[in-house]
Amino acid sequence: MKEKVLTEHFGLESLYKIEVYQKQGGYRAAEKALKKMKPEEILEEVKKANLRGRGGAGFPAGVKWSFVPDTDKPKYLCVNADEGEPGTFKDRYIMSHNPHMLLEGIIITAFCVGISVAFIYIRGEYEAIALRLEQAISEAYEKGFLGKNILESGFDLDVFVHRGAGAYICGEETALLESLEGKRGNPRLKPPFPASVGLWQCPTVINNVETISNISHIILNGAEWFVKQGLPKDGGTRIFGVSGMVKNPGIYELPLGTSLKDIIFKHAGGMKEGKKLKAVIPGGMSAPILTADEINIKMDFDSLVEANSMLGSAAIIVIDDKTSILDVLKVVTKFYSHESCGQCSPCRIGNSWINKIVIRIAEGKGKKEDIDSILRLASNIEGNTLCPLGDAAAMPILSITKKFRKELESHV
Amino acid sequence: MIKIFIDEKPVDVEEGTTVLKAAERAGIHIPHLCYHPAFPPEGSCRMCLVEIEGFPKLELACSTVVKEEMKISTKSERVVEARKAVLEFLLAEHPLDCPICDKAGDCKLQDYYDEYGLFESQFKEAKEKREKKLKIGKSLILDQERCILCTRCVRFLKEVTKTQDLGVFHRGVNSSVNIYDGATVENNYTGNLAEICPVGAITDEDFRFKTRSWFLKEGESICPLCSRGCNILIEYHPGFSRFELPKRVYRIKARENPEVNGFWICDRGRYGYSYLDEGRADKIIMNKIEGENVLTWENISEYLGEKIKSLFSAKKTSAIALILHTWLSNEELFLLHKIFKDDLKVEKIFFADLPEGEADGFLLTSEPSPNRRGAQEVGFDLKTLDLDALAGGTDFLLAFDPFLSGLFSTKDLEAALNKIKRKVLFSSYSHELNSLFDIVIPVALIAEKEGSLTNVEGIVQGFQPALEPPGDSLPEWKVLADLGRDLGIDTKFFEKFPSPETILSEMGKKIPFFKQKND
Repeated sequence: MKEKVLTEHFGLESLYKIEVYQKQGGYRAAEKALKKMKPEEILEEVKKANLRGRGGAGFPAGVKWSFVPDTDKPKYLCVNADEGEPGTFKDRYIMSHNPHMLLEGIIITAFCVGISVAFIYIRGEYEAIALRLEQAISEAYEKGFLGKNILESGFDLDVFVHRGAGAYICGEETALLESLEGKRGNPRLKPPFPASVGLWQCPTVINNVETISNISHIILNGAEWFVKQGLPKDGGTRIFGVSGMVKNPGIYELPLGTSLKDIIFKHAGGMKEGKKLKAVIPGGMSAPILTADEINIKMDFDSLVEANSMLGSAAIIVIDDKTSILDVLKVVTKFYSHESCGQCSPCRIGNSWINKIVIRIAEGKGKKEDIDSILRLASNIEGNTLCPLGDAAAMPILSITKKFRKELESHV
Repeated sequence: MIKIFIDEKPVDVEEGTTVLKAAERAGIHIPHLCYHPAFPPEGSCRMCLVEIEGFPKLELACSTVVKEEMKISTKSERVVEARKAVLEFLLAEHPLDCPICDKAGDCKLQDYYDEYGLFESQFKEAKEKREKKLKIGKSLILDQERCILCTRCVRFLKEVTKTQDLGVFHRGVNSSVNIYDGATVENNYTGNLAEICPVGAITDEDFRFKTRSWFLKEGESICPLCSRGCNILIEYHPGFSRFELPKRVYRIKARENPEVNGFWICDRGRYGYSYLDEGRADKIIMNKIEGENVLTWENISEYLGEKIKSLFSAKKTSAIALILHTWLSNEELFLLHKIFKDDLKVEKIFFADLPEGEADGFLLTSEPSPNRRGAQEVGFDLKTLDLDALAGGTDFLLAFDPFLSGLFSTKDLEAALNKIKRKVLFSSYSHELNSLFDIVIPVALIAEKEGSLTNVEGIVQGFQPALEPPGDSLPEWKVLADLGRDLGIDTKFFEKFPSPETILSEMGKKIPFFKQKND
């Protein structure tokens, strides 16, 4: 019987207060890790758990941590709380309902990798949540879970909250580092990767909020248990964020491998009164769109890749038949052209160009060849950019335009 | 050394070389815009994408380091498509300014379109509008519409001058390069910005609308305006057959030399080129005719030789005085030393150089002339010119100098020169003070002759003529070599100098310092 991992106590009054959190068993995992386990053992456990990144890329967390070299340089942990992918709102729930769960994960991660300074890079718009995090952090310091010699283990850790200033691109790990360093949020070339050259050129681990929030559960209940909550190659649950024309939009923590159809029609209550399903974006706006006939699919990393889409941030946007696909495309192209950092020409100019065409079509001045232009330009962006934002823009534009071509052609 | 394959051609390169540099060494040019050898790779223009076997995506040549057995293709279909795509994006938001843009003919965007593009524009939307004539400091004008955001200018001001005067503002397609709050670019290296800009975004008022780059020819030379000896390119107009142009030289560019000036030149050297064309002397002028024949280049050394010889035979060489300067080449200074110091034992040898200035902590040195070090190494003790010491008991004066008019007042010069019986001036310039001399002989500038200079750090650099000397001007080394021969004191020594190269070679035998010759 699969259990909830992360959201078990959500809804409990004042769960964000450390006393309430501890009453539910909070910080026992940190105690176990710091007092009874060696960093190598923790790393093994996380690797065995097959915990893949919950930010969007899905890279195995344990493998990422193992890339950090042995060095005299200080190492850093950055928790990516930028939550910029449109449609995604799971991390805000975690941080506002159960900030200590995130902190406990941070402590164990830092102890495992040998990190003594951690940053939570939170999107600037989450002001209230940032304050709640800072509250939780001072509670943790008071109780001795942060600061010097945590739990008499000889391990020091300081955690800082850093607010972003309104750029989607700062959710990209290297742009996040640049922003944290006080510079323009321009992504860096990779290689070298942040695990070896990161914050201030030092080795840095960057993980999503949900990813780190799973760590205490893995330590407490073991990797085997964690894998059982999901799939053999994808351990654990996902917090699916369902939005759009469903009866019950919101977050749903379900095992990896749950059917998309079930998520929409069983858990989220199905379509709103009088609305019919037209399309679903399964993993945040960057994920290629699925038509209403394509929703018989398991929500896990590999199944979605096979279907030429992606699990991404597990943000499910449900689109109904009264919504014009042209409007959907407009939102997509406006977003990426606005959020492009501007460093590289394919993304900077390509996204703006496509956006200009789509606006023109929406104003009724579209031409037949515009549809092919959009496809050609989006293909020219894909694979040619400095950072993944280019691909994140090209994929939805291509999938929407290809799968709903007839409807778009009716506008020109 | 490791072996890689570029376009199926095996190439041996050092470990740590990037694909771009390795290709260059193999004679294959990979197009690039944002990369500049002076800075670490930026990777933003995407022009240098190449296909590497085993890599799923196209990779950047500028930043990818080669590995053993790497197989790179710079011409595959994917690469060709990617280049076209990048060019298309860049040109979509680029104004069609070529007919009025100074960079035309010298522009990377044009060159690459010509070679890798050649497609019709599919852009039917309105282009972004920006500032087109922003004065960003000194003589630079920024056109934000032409800018392709390669950020070379931003990086130059960050890495080289460390003044960070330019930055990128706003985001996405609204990105634009600009100055901060009216704080204009004001340092001694601003001219390099117009040079490194691959398109016509940063232009120089000094060159703006003056001529077209395809009219200009290029000659290599060394800047003589301080003792750094920066390597330069002189861009000059060879002239039209039907009408005269106001000048020959339109622009100075930097020439790369890792040992001397790196990739840059300072603004003084870049903009101070009027000395090459303004007020040039081009005829032998005889102000005092003593019933002799007309002087020409054929008989000048004979004439001088005769006059000097007579003083030598009468054991009156103490009546000879020399005014020299340190724009003279190593070879010329060597010949002067040999003739006047060694052979004639002349004591009154003075140097009249421009007064010392201030070094700028980078390239510009405090010495405003190129060869003080050379003069020292040849053996001169660089006595500053004192007019009284000069005039006292002097019957014959040979002055090599264009600076006297700037250093002394007409009254003082006149007073001193009136005491001297015979005075000959070698100068590149026509100046009213020239009338104080009996004979004025026009001479070539460094840009117009062959020779070598020794810079402040002791590096000997050879130079070749980039321009033709105007009118009757000839290089000093030729007069001196002939004079030495005609003097007849050590004829054999002077017989072996048909060229400055031979003089430098002789210097290497006589003076240990000059054994190292370079360039």
